[in-house]
Amino acid sequence: MRDLDVVGQSYPQIDAMEKAMGKTKFVSDLALPNMLYGRILRSPYAHARIKHIDISKAKSLTGVKAVVAYADTPGIKFGPRTEDWTILASDKVRFCGDEVAAVAAVDEDIAEGALDLIKVEYEELPMVSDPLEAMEPDVPLIHEDKPGNIAFEFKIDVGDVDEAFKNSYVIYEDRYYTNQVYQAYLEPMGAIADVDLSGRITFWVGTQIPNMMRMTYAKAMGVSPDSIRVIVPDYGGAFGAKMENNVHLVAAVLAQKAGYPVKMINTRHDDFIAGNPRVPMYIDIKLGATREGILTGKEVRVVGGAGARVVYAHAIVATACYRADSLYRFKHVRSKGYTVYTNTVPTSCFRGFGNAQMTFVLESALDTIADQLDIDPAELRIKNGIGPDEVSIHGWIINSCGLKDCISKATEAAKWQEKRQLKKPFRGIGISCCNHVSGNRAFAREFDGAGGIVRIGRDGRVTVYAGESDMGQGQKTVFAQIVAERLGVPLNLVHVAIVDTDFSPFGLGSFATRGTLMGGNGVLAAADDAFKQLADVAAEMLEANPNDVECSNEKFFVKGSPERNVPFKDVTEKATFVRYGSPVIGTGFYNPGTELPDAETKYGNISPAYPFACQVAEVEVDPDTGQIKVLNFVAAHDIGRAINPMATEGQIQGGVIQGLGWALMENMVTENGSIANPDFLDYLIPTALDSPNITPILVEPIESSGPYGAKGIGEPALNPAMSAITNAIYNATGIRIKELPVSAEKILKELNKRPK
Amino acid sequence: MKVRINVIVNGEKHHLEVKPNHTLVDVLREELSLTGTKKGCGSGKCGSCTVLMDGRPVNSCLILAPQADGREVVTIEGLAGREPHPLQKAFAEKGAIQCGYCAPGMILTAKALLDVNPNPQEEEIRSAIAGNLCRCTGYSKTVEAIRSCANSGRNNRPSAGRKAYA
Repeated sequence: MRDLDVVGQSYPQIDAMEKAMGKTKFVSDLALPNMLYGRILRSPYAHARIKHIDISKAKSLTGVKAVVAYADTPGIKFGPRTEDWTILASDKVRFCGDEVAAVAAVDEDIAEGALDLIKVEYEELPMVSDPLEAMEPDVPLIHEDKPGNIAFEFKIDVGDVDEAFKNSYVIYEDRYYTNQVYQAYLEPMGAIADVDLSGRITFWVGTQIPNMMRMTYAKAMGVSPDSIRVIVPDYGGAFGAKMENNVHLVAAVLAQKAGYPVKMINTRHDDFIAGNPRVPMYIDIKLGATREGILTGKEVRVVGGAGARVVYAHAIVATACYRADSLYRFKHVRSKGYTVYTNTVPTSCFRGFGNAQMTFVLESALDTIADQLDIDPAELRIKNGIGPDEVSIHGWIINSCGLKDCISKATEAAKWQEKRQLKKPFRGIGISCCNHVSGNRAFAREFDGAGGIVRIGRDGRVTVYAGESDMGQGQKTVFAQIVAERLGVPLNLVHVAIVDTDFSPFGLGSFATRGTLMGGNGVLAAADDAFKQLADVAAEMLEANPNDVECSNEKFFVKGSPERNVPFKDVTEKATFVRYGSPVIGTGFYNPGTELPDAETKYGNISPAYPFACQVAEVEVDPDTGQIKVLNFVAAHDIGRAINPMATEGQIQGGVIQGLGWALMENMVTENGSIANPDFLDYLIPTALDSPNITPILVEPIESSGPYGAKGIGEPALNPAMSAITNAIYNATGIRIKELPVSAEKILKELNKRPK
Repeated sequence: MKVRINVIVNGEKHHLEVKPNHTLVDVLREELSLTGTKKGCGSGKCGSCTVLMDGRPVNSCLILAPQADGREVVTIEGLAGREPHPLQKAFAEKGAIQCGYCAPGMILTAKALLDVNPNPQEEEIRSAIAGNLCRCTGYSKTVEAIRSCANSGRNNRPSAGRKAYA
C-alpha cells in the first residue's frame, strides 16, 4: 500500500468548528412554520388497567390543536423485533412512564397544561420490578401470552462442560448483578414529525438506525415503508439509546390529527423514565481452570430485565451469553439466558450491548482464579488469550488480534509489575480485557454490510452519503478521511451529508461498533467507483490509459510521472461537460461475508473483524470513609489502523469515563415500580472532577477486512473499565465487588466487618 | 400577562415582552432564535445552557426572564469577533468536541474562568467546568483545550468578560 496522506491523521472533526461556534442545528433546535409542541401523558402506575380516558376537556383548551389516546392511533401491535408495543397504551399500562395520551398545542406551556385536563381512570394491578421475582410462579403476567414473564430464552452448549469442570484444579462459582444505568446523552430524545397531503410522514429525528426505524415505524403506522422518510440532523449523543421509541411515533400521530408539524422533545425527566436504559442482569458464573491456569470450562446463567416491552433486550442477553467466549481459548461453554418482562421502563442498548455486563463478570471471575492459583492476573490472560488467525469456539474467524500487545503495552505503561510487587496499603492495581465485534450478523439478520454514494460536482466538491449516522462519535470525519484518501484530494473538499432515507443508502446504522468498518468500506467502494469514472476523463486529458492514472494532492497524473498533471477540479469540470451536466456519482457496497449463526449451535463467523482491549486501573481506597479514587487509568486498544488517532483517543477516554461512572456512581433506583432518581440531581454522572486522566494506547495491527486496515472502537472503549476498577479495588482491599455500582458505603461496610 | 424587559444580548439592545415564568434560555432560543444555547435538563444540573450574564457564567434555565432585565448577556454566538474565539478554535482542534451539545456552555464557562484566572492549574480548570456535564469526551481533551488557551495571550480580549463581544 502506498503511503497514506489523509487516513491516519488527527484532523479535528469536520463539523467541530460549527459546533464550537453554536451554529450546528441539533434536532431540538429545529423549527418549522406552524409547528406545534407535543407532550405525553404518562402512566403514574407500574401496572394498571385503564378503565376510562376522557380527553374532552383537554381538547377544548385554547391553543390545543390535537389530543390523542389509543383510539386515535392505528392500533397495530409492532416492535423492532418483538411485536409487544402499541403507540399508546390500549387496555393497560405496564410501567411508570408508559404512554397513555398526548397533546399538541401552540406552545409547550399550553400542551403541559392540557395534560392536566385529561382524566384517566385506572385500576391498579399487582406489579413486579425485579426480573428474578418476575420469573417466579404466581407472579402477575405483564403480557398475558408470555408465561413466567419470559419473553425469550437463549441456549448454547458447546463441548463437554461437566467433564471440563471435573478436570479442573480450581472452580470459581458466584452470582453477580449489573444494575440499570442511563445513557445520559446531553440532548434528550425527540423528533419533529410532519405529514404531507399524500399522507407521507417525515421525521426529523436523532437516531442511530434511520432505515431500520423506518421499517418499524411503517408497521406501527400501518403504511408502506415508502410512506415514511427519516431525516437525521446532527444530534447530541446516543450511546445505544437512540433507536425506536414511542416518543417519535406519538409526534406522528399528533401531526396526522392536527394537520401541522409537531415537535416532541423529551423533558429530561421523561427521558429518564421512558428512554431505554441498560438491561440489568443477574449473572451466575462457574469458571474452571487447571493448576497452570488454563481455562477449562465456563457456564453462565443470565437473567436480564427487559422492562415492560422488548426493544432489543433479547439480543443483548444473547450477546452476554456468548460473546466473551471468543476472548479466550475456551473449548467447553454452556449458557442459558432469560429475557424477562418486568413492570419497569423498557431497557435496551447501551454501549457494550450485553458484552459490557458479561465482561465485568468474566474478568472479575478470572481475577479471582488468578488469586486462587497465585498467578499474575496479566499472565493468566496472556496464557488464555486468543490470537491472530485463530478460530474461536463459536466459529469466529479472528483475523488481526492485538490482545497480547494490548496487555503488554497497558501493563508496561501502568507500571504493573512494580506496583503489584511494592503494594502499598489500600492502594491497588487491576486489569481487565475485552473482545468485541465490528458488525454483528446475529443481530443484522437480513444482511450485514454497507453501501455508499460519492457524488462529485462540477466544482470538485465531493459529497458522501452513508447510512451510518454521526451521533457525535466522529463518523462523518472518518468517512470523509477515507474518501479523501481514495480520491487523492484534501479533506476540506469532502463533505458528508446527514442521513436522509430519501437519498442515503439503506444503511443498517451506527451500532455494534460497525460504523467505521462497515460504513467505511461502503463509502470506500463508492469512492473507488467515482475515482474510476474520473480516471476515464483524466486519462483522455493526459492521453493515457485510465488504468495508469493516479490522483494525489488534488492532481491527476500518470503513474510515475507526477510532473505532468491535470488538476482535480479541471477533471471534474470536464467530466460534467462530457456528461451533459450529470454529476459523477460513484456507488458501491461492502459484503463482509459473515455468517448467520446456526440456530441451534450458534456457530458462525458473525463479524468480519474483532477489536480487543486491555485496561489497567490504579485505585486508592480511603480506609476511614470507603471512598475510592482512581489514580491512573491506561487503556490499550487494538483498533486496527486508527483512521483518526485523536478521535480514537477521544472515544477511548469517553468510553472509560462512562465505565467509571457505571462502576462508581451510577444507578437507576426503582422504588415501588417507579424510578426514584430521574434527574441529574440524584442520578450523578462523572463531572470533570470525578474523571481522572485516561492514557489511551493505540495498538494498530492492520486488519485485512477493514477500510485501510481499520476496526471499530465505540463499545470496547467501555467494556473492560468496570472490572479494571473493581479488580483494582480487590487488589487494594481484598473486597470482591459482585454488584455494581461500588459505593463508599459498601466498601466501608466490608472493611468494618474485619477485626481491627 | 407579559413583562417588559430590556436586555443586551451579544452587544445588541432588546426590548422584549416575556412571560414572567419563562426562563432566559427560552427567551434566547425562542424569542431571539439563538439556538446555540442548549437545553439539557431544565434544572441547572447539566450546564448546557450556560451563558455569561454580566461576565459571569450562569445556567440560563435557572434565570427567570425578568431577572435578566438590565443585564448584559453573552451567548456562544456572541463570543467570536471577526475570527472565532481562541477557545472555540482550541476546542475544535484538540478534539474537545464530539457530539458538541455541551460545547457552547463548556466554552463560555472556560471563558469566564480564564477572564479571572488566566493561568489556571488543571484542578482549577476541572473545578470550574464541574457544572458542565459532557458524556462523550471524558473531559481529558476538554481540559487540554482550555489549558492550551491559558496565559498564552490567546484569551486576552481587553476587559474580558463584560465587553468580550465588542
